[in-house]
Amino acid sequence: MALRELSSLEKFLGLKKPNKYSTQGDRKVPVLQSNSAPSLVGLGTIATHLAQEAKRPDLLGASAEERAVIQQWLEYRVARLDGCAKEDIKTILKDLNAYLEDKVYLAGNHISLADPLMYYGLHHIITDLAVQEKEKYLNVTRWFDHMQHYPGVRHHLPPVVVLRNRVYTSGHH
Amino acid sequence: MGFGDLKSPAGLKVLNDFLADKSYIEGYVPSQADIAVFDALSGAPSADLCHALRWYNHIKSYQKEKGSLPGVKKALGQYGPAGVEDTTSAGGDAADDDDDIDLFGSDEEEESEEAIRIKEERLAAYNAKKSKKPALIAKSSILLDVKPWDDETDMAKMEECVRTVELDGLVWGQSKLVPVGYGIKKLQIACVVEDDKVGTDQLEELITAFEDYVQSVDVAAFNKI
Repeated sequence: MALRELSSLEKFLGLKKPNKYSTQGDRKVPVLQSNSAPSLVGLGTIATHLAQEAKRPDLLGASAEERAVIQQWLEYRVARLDGCAKEDIKTILKDLNAYLEDKVYLAGNHISLADPLMYYGLHHIITDLAVQEKEKYLNVTRWFDHMQHYPGVRHHLPPVVVLRNRVYTSGHH
Repeated sequence: MGFGDLKSPAGLKVLNDFLADKSYIEGYVPSQADIAVFDALSGAPSADLCHALRWYNHIKSYQKEKGSLPGVKKALGQYGPAGVEDTTSAGGDAADDDDDIDLFGSDEEEESEEAIRIKEERLAAYNAKKSKKPALIAKSSILLDVKPWDDETDMAKMEECVRTVELDGLVWGQSKLVPVGYGIKKLQIACVVEDDKVGTDQLEELITAFEDYVQSVDVAAFNKI
């Protein structure tokens, strides 16, 4: 799964030559072999490297604070999201919903590397959410819908229908 | 369309509600639509209108690029949830219809010049939109079974007669002859009709008018397109 994601990410970044990836371990951690440099292991690491290769430093954050936030979300993706248990999903969605309340993108006011990676990671969770749950975590749904319409992000993943249903209020206001 | 008076709490609430599941006023990138609405606000929305505040702060960060954002700035009444009346026009009896959106806030009595202008623009846009409606006509595909009197009836002539039936919104399609038994064949002919303009009883009447050839007409299949 991580490999398809990396190739979608390459397309999003506009990288012309796709890299060859392999996986290691039973958790299928992606590995990028390169001739000149030591191999890179881990989704977050490889993604960061790709962004730099594509000369998109804006995706990695303009200020030190932004950079830290982006790395934080990359780590969140790998450490907490991938392979999380069913019970954790509610907590994750709750945290994200609170975080996204006053933000359009995960870090700063422009799209960054964290956004597509979190989108890929959350896709299978959001696909399985019922309508009232989507309404409950409204900010996550909004951000998710925004991401899947952002040019170049969606690629290999099927779009998730997001419809506002006023019957289920978000209990927010 | 329109949010109502964006300087009033009711209008801001409409905006907040609208933005709850959207990042931008129109589409998925910042555009002139966002600038138009941004400029209409007198300041940052209060913290309890969290979605409006989020959007406001986000658009504020685009202030430097606001001239270069895509789109064309339209009158305020053009944006916002459909079905919300432009509340800057004088109040009416629609107040009870939409109880999830507070339409008429506190300023329904104001008939300022700007309000009248916005109302006119909105009306003009609505009429223009209505006249371009053809894109959404409901159509159905109907399969008719036309039965002759006996096996000596000239089916080719019968088909010709059926096809001479002309109505606005009716387009004849393919036809074939299906044997029914005892040498009798029925004519199965398809047509596409616009629901508003043509009804099956009307069709049946017109076809059975060819009494020499047609014994009866039935609707074999009726599918919405």
